Amino acid sequence: MMMLECDAKQLLASAGVNVPAGTVWRRGAAAGGVTVDHYPVAVKAQVRSGGRGKQGGVVKVTDRAALEAAAKKLFDIDFGGEKPDALLIEPWLAIERECYLSVAVDGRAEGYVVLYSPLGGMDIEDGAPPVRYEVGAPWNFRVHRLREILEKVEPDYQWREKVIALAQRLVRTAAAQDCTTIEINPLVKLSDGALIAADAKVARDEWAHFRNAEINAEREAEKGRADPYLRACLDMQHMYVKLDGDIGVISGGAGMTMGAMDMIAEHGGSPACFLDCSPGPTSTRGYRPAFEMLDADPAVKVILVSVFGGGTQMQRVANSMKEVMAERKSAKPVVYRLDGTNVDQVDGIFAEFGAHNHATLETAVTEAVKLAGGAR
Amino acid sequence: MSILLDKSNRVLIQGVTGQMGQFFVEDARKYGTNMVAGVSPGRAGTKVGDVPVFANVATAVKETAADTAMVFVPPSAVLGATIEAIESGCRLVVATADEMPVLDAIEVRAAARANGAVFVGPNTPGLISPGKAKMGFMPSFCYLQGHVGVISRSGSLSYEGSKRITQAGIGQTTVVGIGGDPVKGTTAAEALALFHKDPDTKAILYLGEIGGSEETFVAEYASSTGAKPVAALIVGKTAPAGKKMGHAAALIGSKAEGHAAKQKMLRDAGVFVADSLGEVVAAMRAALARA
Repeated sequence: MMMLECDAKQLLASAGVNVPAGTVWRRGAAAGGVTVDHYPVAVKAQVRSGGRGKQGGVVKVTDRAALEAAAKKLFDIDFGGEKPDALLIEPWLAIERECYLSVAVDGRAEGYVVLYSPLGGMDIEDGAPPVRYEVGAPWNFRVHRLREILEKVEPDYQWREKVIALAQRLVRTAAAQDCTTIEINPLVKLSDGALIAADAKVARDEWAHFRNAEINAEREAEKGRADPYLRACLDMQHMYVKLDGDIGVISGGAGMTMGAMDMIAEHGGSPACFLDCSPGPTSTRGYRPAFEMLDADPAVKVILVSVFGGGTQMQRVANSMKEVMAERKSAKPVVYRLDGTNVDQVDGIFAEFGAHNHATLETAVTEAVKLAGGAR
Repeated sequence: MSILLDKSNRVLIQGVTGQMGQFFVEDARKYGTNMVAGVSPGRAGTKVGDVPVFANVATAVKETAADTAMVFVPPSAVLGATIEAIESGCRLVVATADEMPVLDAIEVRAAARANGAVFVGPNTPGLISPGKAKMGFMPSFCYLQGHVGVISRSGSLSYEGSKRITQAGIGQTTVVGIGGDPVKGTTAAEALALFHKDPDTKAILYLGEIGGSEETFVAEYASSTGAKPVAALIVGKTAPAGKKMGHAAALIGSKAEGHAAKQKMLRDAGVFVADSLGEVVAAMRAALARA
């Protein structure tokens, strides 16, 4: 879960990291409530998606009139489907250098990794790759190990020591606050030599919601931002990603859901979504909101139910389908492919409501593509 | 032979009195898993099926010589339960739970290492050595005893992939679900090393996804001297970048984590890459022809 920059900076500030003294302008709040004492300032759109700078989401303004004009414009920009909830107004920094520092969970590192590049900024991905310190478990952070690595790329020893101390603090904070990423880009050296986090991206581990009130609140807020159909699905822990096709996929398990999406494309069709229902109750209560969401989506012409279950027993899924179909109003065609534990009981249950269970994913996908209007 | 699991494992089930624990006792018993004990604090002295229940892992190990733990407790309790099993002497600990915080997985992995145990999970279907034993809910009919080692990042995809090769008459030594999370108890590299040492495993099938860097382990293995032949399928060709596709690790954050880059990396390393599920059997046959 990505945090907004203003929230991320608050988290860093509470860990003793130097951040600009910013003012937050929430959407809908009156301009009069926003006080700025010194210009110039940076006005920064608060969105969770990346690439904000390249889309004009950061503006330098030098007076009140320009601030209000910039705010009006920024609140209206659509950043990959997301309009800013807030603007962060910060003093314009006297930058001497821009660097890159991040702490992130990494499979290879068996825990956290620290990444540092002496050159930061927007095009970090196009430059030389950052140096890498594999920390592993957070308690294994060693100052001297990171120093050895940084000595190769960072000749300014005073700056280097500041970066090492900051990295140590970030690893501690990540572990204490269940963060999967803390990225500071740019990490700025001010003209007086001080270090400041000019930008911050923090991702939290949503599964730590049971022990972290902020994460729990953010999960609830995320549901609140969804439309009612999606919210009902998120309440069931379903995982949903909207795609631009017309075949809705109700599936179980991330790998098989992607497998079904890929096969739809291979047969000339186009998936309308990734919808993995396996984490929530795979019962009528769980599947009902999945159908309601796809039935209400005008882009979806056909629904493919593809479930290959182990612990999810197929006679239960088949009975859920029977119940959902009995109450369903939409006439959108549904194609089924159920397989796995107790699949031998499916045909009998399906016969009760005139449904057909495909024996293979190939035949099910072929039918779904045909019903959606054939290959593109 | 097989890896990690066979008839000799003496299995204890943590959270045995819950719904999943009870279903597991019934289902895995049918398959031949040697279940000797259950653990459920506050329920000592009772039984689930014919499995005696103990208050803690140490007692269960002492009384029954259990050496393998299957963990069915809520996500918030997985950390405590797995470390209890590891520190009580279990050599294999399997936790299928999804929704385990990554920080907890980091800690369990470190504890397993320090105690010489193997942790499989989280967010995994578990593992099965066909014809011998299973530790998970995988549908038994999808598997056949044979000579292919299967490694999968996704549960249901491992059922689908295994069923396809089983129907083609290609059996498996062990099918291990390494899970969809970024920090894994057992990585692809570690599973590959185990299959490499297993004389019965002639070839390997790897079922992967977009996102993360696990596939680099597979490419590194396949291009090493004396490697067993590897077939692979990567799903997520139609997944957009920057979106988490269910699994925490299934997110394309950079070009190298995308579908095309992973396929190319694997092909360049000599892996027989199936372009789709429908080609898994053909890729597997091509790999076996090199064995």
